[in-house]
Amino acid sequence: MASLPEIGFLRRVVLFKDVEEQVILALWPSFHERRLKKGDVLFRAGDPGEELFLIKDGSIVVSKPVTGRVEQVLSRLAPGEVFGEMSVFGDERRRSATCQAEVDSVLYSLDRDSLNRFVASSPLAAAKFFQQMAQVAFKRLRDSSDLVAEVTRWGLEATGLDIEHK
Amino acid sequence: MSEVGDKTAEGRPKRTRIELLVREADGDGFETREIPSGVAYLHSRPQRIPDADWEMARLPYAPAGVVTYALKNRRTEQIIQITETEKFLWEQMDGRASLQEIATSYLLHFGSFDFEIIPTLIVKLLRADLLTMRPVSRLRAVLARNRRNPAARAMEGTLHALERLTVTSRRSHQFFERIYRYGGFLLFTPWAIALLAIAVGLGTISGIKIWNNLGEVTHGLASHPLVAILLVKIVFWLTVINHQIIHALACIHYKRRVREFGFTILHGFIPTFYADVTDIFMATRRARVVNAVAGPLFHLFLGGLCFWIATLLQPGLMQGFVAASAILQIQSFFISLYPFCFLEMDGYHILVELVGVPTLNHDSVRFVRESLWRRIRTATRLTRQETIGLAYFGLSLVSIAGFVLLNVWLLTSAGKS
Repeated sequence: MASLPEIGFLRRVVLFKDVEEQVILALWPSFHERRLKKGDVLFRAGDPGEELFLIKDGSIVVSKPVTGRVEQVLSRLAPGEVFGEMSVFGDERRRSATCQAEVDSVLYSLDRDSLNRFVASSPLAAAKFFQQMAQVAFKRLRDSSDLVAEVTRWGLEATGLDIEHK
Repeated sequence: MSEVGDKTAEGRPKRTRIELLVREADGDGFETREIPSGVAYLHSRPQRIPDADWEMARLPYAPAGVVTYALKNRRTEQIIQITETEKFLWEQMDGRASLQEIATSYLLHFGSFDFEIIPTLIVKLLRADLLTMRPVSRLRAVLARNRRNPAARAMEGTLHALERLTVTSRRSHQFFERIYRYGGFLLFTPWAIALLAIAVGLGTISGIKIWNNLGEVTHGLASHPLVAILLVKIVFWLTVINHQIIHALACIHYKRRVREFGFTILHGFIPTFYADVTDIFMATRRARVVNAVAGPLFHLFLGGLCFWIATLLQPGLMQGFVAASAILQIQSFFISLYPFCFLEMDGYHILVELVGVPTLNHDSVRFVRESLWRRIRTATRLTRQETIGLAYFGLSLVSIAGFVLLNVWLLTSAGKS
């Protein structure tokens, strides 16, 4: 369990932006602090996933295996950002990507059971929470499609392929 | 990763970069690396197609002393023109040297470097499938992609079946060498030219006589229309075989290889005989012109001969048939030699030799499709090659329109009569 309620930090987390303070305080005991050293892998793509994470300090690199020891960096997450929500709320309860600490980092985790209790006890706050979660999901989707376009452009430039004229 | 569509200060899109994470061998720790597309491009190792699939010959008609080469993809029959410096780069593209290494050796060899030359050459080589292999045709590629569609599947099956109708001999070279040795060589002597001149002379006189008695001659045909049409068609087909044999013999005469001889369904619907004499492109300009002219001249010779024979015959089916064959041969002579129709027939090959643009058809269509309107908008002066291409395109378009209109007129006239 996290030691002291950090309302100021949670207010900066987009998911809790509109949630009342007393609800956050009630939820706070469910958060667990995780400390990662630089280079530590929090989880790998394919691992079972039961919790989402909030970044308190540090930086998390999200990557997807490509070949051998090489992985494509999908994004780099900063303090206040949330990740790991796909295996908690998604239809597949496995991690879709690998997350590792780029520098020493501090995270807070929130498991599925705690989230379910939060939804049952505070439906109004949960609605605001999920509204923000939808925004996060939309942004992820936009970022993914941008990444696909960017990687395609990279491939065309890297191969010198002239698609317009052939 | 940079934002999609990022622009530099000059307004050109930024080179993209991808970010990769590389784990350490023992599994502990990692490092991330940004790879710009430009770096990846420089590290790419272009590989030309296998040596057996391409050939190169120096072109004799270099403008202003510039040495150029014809580089041919033997599989697709596509030919591109490359310069001396591009030839140097092509020779480096063995799949082992990176573009960076190729650029370095270019600099060491020529003492200077033009940064656009490699990308330009690569685009040119890719278009001619000289660096990568592509499916047999765009149509086949599209059909293959849409196999779920029953119509596409049926069309692909039909094309496949038609392709199987192709009868070909890849060992025809020895056969034609024998024909050449046992008399074929005579076709390329002054005697053959003298004989042709006699046939043309006799044919002209005979043609005039037949024209004056046209009603009598055509009456023989009109009384046996079905037999007449079948006879004329069969004889014409036989002469098409001879036309192709003459091309093959010309190829042998200039010590080049006849790759194939056979029968095929051209474009999936035109049954025809063919001789693959594309090896002649690697010979001299004179050889290419002689090869192109030899086939049509055979029709001229036969046309003259048939006209003369027709005048010796009594009025009736045989005279009408021989005279009709003569007209068909003369028509074939002119059609084969007419260059402006987007089809690369004998006349087209002579034209490209005259103007010195080996890929005139392709270049002209591409220029009109991709660059002409921009050039008109910007009022930019056309180069010599562009002017030739535009003239070829325009004349071909007018010729096809004229041909279609003529046929419509003939059909409507026939309907009225």
